[in-house]
Amino acid sequence: MKPKKATEMGKATRELLELSLAQAARLVKSKEISPVDLVDASLERIKSVDGRLSAYITIFEEEARKVAKAAEMMIVAGHDLGPLHGVPIGLKDNLAVKGFRTTAGSKVLKDWVPDHDATVTERLRRAGAIFVGKLNMHEFAWGGTSENPHYGAVRNPWNTERFPAGSSGGSGAAVAARTCYGAIGTDTGGSIRLPSAINGVVGIRPTYGRVSNYGIIPLAWSMDTAGPMTRTVEDCAIMFNAIAGHDPKDPSTSRAPVVDYTEDLNRGVRGLRIGVVPGYFFHHLQPPVHNAVKGGLKTLEGLGAAVVDVNIENIHGNISAQLTIEAAEPSAYHQRWLREQPESYGGDVRSLLEIGELLLATHYLQAQRYRTLLRREFLEAFRKVDVFICPTLPFTATKVGEMKVVIENGVEENMLSAIMQFTGVPSLTGLPSLNVPCGFDQEGLPVGMQIIGKPFDEATLFRIGAAFQSATDFHKRAPNI
Amino acid sequence: MASRKEVTPALVGALAEYAELPLAPGRAEVITSMLETWIRDANELSRKMSSAKYWELAPATIFSHPNEAEEGN
Repeated sequence: MKPKKATEMGKATRELLELSLAQAARLVKSKEISPVDLVDASLERIKSVDGRLSAYITIFEEEARKVAKAAEMMIVAGHDLGPLHGVPIGLKDNLAVKGFRTTAGSKVLKDWVPDHDATVTERLRRAGAIFVGKLNMHEFAWGGTSENPHYGAVRNPWNTERFPAGSSGGSGAAVAARTCYGAIGTDTGGSIRLPSAINGVVGIRPTYGRVSNYGIIPLAWSMDTAGPMTRTVEDCAIMFNAIAGHDPKDPSTSRAPVVDYTEDLNRGVRGLRIGVVPGYFFHHLQPPVHNAVKGGLKTLEGLGAAVVDVNIENIHGNISAQLTIEAAEPSAYHQRWLREQPESYGGDVRSLLEIGELLLATHYLQAQRYRTLLRREFLEAFRKVDVFICPTLPFTATKVGEMKVVIENGVEENMLSAIMQFTGVPSLTGLPSLNVPCGFDQEGLPVGMQIIGKPFDEATLFRIGAAFQSATDFHKRAPNI
Repeated sequence: MASRKEVTPALVGALAEYAELPLAPGRAEVITSMLETWIRDANELSRKMSSAKYWELAPATIFSHPNEAEEGN
């Protein structure tokens, strides 16, 4: 049976784009819609909004249509490629795609065409995903604003005067604006979770070693991860299923068993214990963020979870450790380019790379010792609780171009330090963490909460996130763009 | 607490020379203030981590061998 055309079904493009990834995949599988319709809808949407968002660096128009046609033929012939068959997906532009330009948002790599796929790219392709484009980002992923001097500042679809956070800002904006059903981001210090929170989407930073980094331009080797960004938790788990697992090409990946991450989505949260660190998790926040995340905890309590205070004695100090490691490791990676073509870097990234060369080896190693200490404390705390929950970041979207942020009492703070207040903890400890939309501020800008889990226990994060989304509708609201 | 030397563009320039990092004119002035903050915070963390309380902690950068299967043997 030939899949019906969207027009025959009377579905407008927008209706197709409002489908979740899971719904779209199910409709392709049942031959009710064609991958060609999904890709046409995505490309049409990109054309209509990306002039205002700058979320894409490269759009795979011709290639995506060609692959969609082939995907349609395969489904008609009864060949199911996998859980993402025919679904349009975006990739952050630091993931290698064989034969297509991969810039990492930089001028340095503006003409680099890899001769290989990143493992994540390859696994998504194998699961049937169709790539509609490469997504804009903070240059080399070294920053949290996605104000890219070479490919344009990415803008937030909820208010295009506001920033999308970063570094995976293009991924967050593209998913929120319904230009694709899911995207891949990368996260070193918060680069998946921050844009997920600020754009009102779901995003997971996996346990370090759960997802391969092969073929991804590194930022800081000891903290780099890659993960999906989607509108629903179910969608995120489906994409995660496709990419998780050991990779012989990346020796930092673990052989710990991979489970079906969609299996526990309907188990609810009754009996789960949620940890909150007093004096840190709800300290120094903009009031709407405080209220939304507290509201999120109340919702989960209402669903049967218990909230418990758990002290983490050495949680203070994490921002300095994070900045030291995130300064030193990229500066080693960029050492040659910084000497050969310093002018190719944007001003902020150039400064960060220069600073990273001037810190002491002892600073770096004491920061790495601090990681051991912090991880040990969290692992001990996980005897008492199943997860921790805190805000993903302490403020909502600031104006594009701002490098300072006001959180409370009118005091201006440095954006980079302020934005990492909560995301640095999982980055340093290697723990998985999931952002779930949990509210909006008075201007209609999204707020996200971060669920932090035990090593390799992403399934519990998805379980809690799914329970939360079954009781709330924040993820169903769409930006008016 | 030990007295702290102020970080100046001249000091940044000297440090960059030691690192064989050629800084273009004006770059030392651009990064001085941020570097000063980062070094102050990093020194504070170093003081904490060098205390006797944490003497047994190894950095998170070591090779670990949790079991033979992990090593692919």
